[in-house]
Amino acid sequence: MAAVSSQPAAAIRGCGPIPARAGIGLRFQHHRAVVESRPAVAWLEVHTENYMGGGTPLRYLDQIRRDYPISLHGVGLSLGSADGLDLAHLERIRTVAERIEPGLVSEHLSWSMAAGTYLADLLPLPLTEEALDVVCRNIDQTQTRLQRRILVENPSSYLQFAHSTIPEWQFLAAVAARTGCGLLCDVNNIFVSAHNHGWDASAYLDALPPAAIDEIHLAGHTLRQLAGGRLLRIDDHGSRVEPAVWMLYRRALARFGAVPTLIEWDNNVPPLEVLIEEAAHAATLFEGAAKESASADAA
Amino acid sequence: MPTLLDLQHAIYRAIVAGDERDTAIHVVADGIEPAARLSVYRNTFLASLTAALRLSYPAAHRLIGEAFFEGAAQIFVAERPPRSAYLDEYGAGFPEFLTRFPPAAAVPYLPDVARLEWAVNQALHAPDVEPLDVTQLAELSPEDAACLCFVPHPSVGLLRADYPVDAIWRAVLDRDDRALSAIDLAAGPAWLMVERADTAVEVKRMREPEWRFMAELCAGGPLQAVLDSNRDLDAPPLLANHLAAGRFIAVKSADSTVAPQAMEPSP
Repeated sequence: MAAVSSQPAAAIRGCGPIPARAGIGLRFQHHRAVVESRPAVAWLEVHTENYMGGGTPLRYLDQIRRDYPISLHGVGLSLGSADGLDLAHLERIRTVAERIEPGLVSEHLSWSMAAGTYLADLLPLPLTEEALDVVCRNIDQTQTRLQRRILVENPSSYLQFAHSTIPEWQFLAAVAARTGCGLLCDVNNIFVSAHNHGWDASAYLDALPPAAIDEIHLAGHTLRQLAGGRLLRIDDHGSRVEPAVWMLYRRALARFGAVPTLIEWDNNVPPLEVLIEEAAHAATLFEGAAKESASADAA
Repeated sequence: MPTLLDLQHAIYRAIVAGDERDTAIHVVADGIEPAARLSVYRNTFLASLTAALRLSYPAAHRLIGEAFFEGAAQIFVAERPPRSAYLDEYGAGFPEFLTRFPPAAAVPYLPDVARLEWAVNQALHAPDVEPLDVTQLAELSPEDAACLCFVPHPSVGLLRADYPVDAIWRAVLDRDDRALSAIDLAAGPAWLMVERADTAVEVKRMREPEWRFMAELCAGGPLQAVLDSNRDLDAPPLLANHLAAGRFIAVKSADSTVAPQAMEPSP
């Protein structure tokens, strides 16, 4: 099963479920190229926040969703806010979801709103029982309002709180078990956070519940040297996926099986062809994993 | 151990105001100062919101250059951070802020250019709404018609500027130095209407009386009162023109709605 195939794009079913193949993140820069060239990519994911107004972006997406399954990936709902959800924002998400009828809707295990202010980043939570209650309450409210199951993504982080008591992988598993939400396993984020906090990335992956994993993200990151010489890996989605992250992806495939996989690229966005190349590479690993699992079954 | 609410409000202060006193003690150092870890998030906050302002105010950015713009944006972002995650709506107060930003005083028309850019931005992102169905008006009695109020399309904006900012804005975005130097700053005020037509945003120069007529209608003035205060104008063709261009989406009477505002997005 190849993500990038020679079949005509018209054969791809629009606005249906997200297939277990490789897709790419769609950014404004590529709207026109996708409409005009209709690349043979299996599905597309967009940032929900980019389609909350009217005008040109929504027109492009209306057109594109006829040919491709679409996933809505939000960056602003702030599921970890102790203040509770911004209901106006939840309503905007609901409006976009009603219009686009996405195959998947996802958000992050993080928070961005406090004191009525948007902090423009995916901030880490203290991983405590209290935070678990808050996150689950906010996910319950979201799933009820959207009338659908959402996926929650593991974040990249650059700090940990001294009073955290639950490892992140256990926290995610508990969130999925308690709310029925799915998990979006961002393999690059696991790699980044594991480096930054001295975790074992493979052990993290192995601890996630396979049945809950409904999507995988892959992206590039960068190294930043802080005062004192320590290096932090920063999740900037501005380059190709690193070889070590591809290695971790192979492990994820072996553990989770065929899961829709997305190439994300948000900064220094390259030509569409580069994203398609990255998706094709994911598809190659995908096929390899499928063969290995088939031969393992035969043996 | 802080409650989640207290911790998040403390981090909010660390990120917006750079005051990490209440936060750093809760962050694991592990070889990197907690303040340095927090600064990663503060930097992202400042950089991404500055980038959002740069996108909304490209001409203002070019007029004062990257260094001044970044300086202005970072003060503005800390003073008036976004109230929601829908960033297309962020930055409405930036033109007014620029009037109070001393380094920008050398470019007297900068705040007006920024106001035009905000109107363009509003037009660009306004929701899709079906225009008013004018056949609804034909069914009204003359008495009802007299006290009608029009609801403008959310993409329509009216702007009066002391300078010819439409010409400045175009010349700056086109990097047309010759056009820029040919602009007469003393030419008098510009009366502008901004709207999204099909896919592009248009900035139209209007004559003052026609602008005032449209501005009063857009402000929700009852039709008869607006007609009375613009007796010198041949108003019916102007109104017909605005209606035909889809610049109104609904009509209301002073106390009740005659035609409900069309909230359904166009297909």
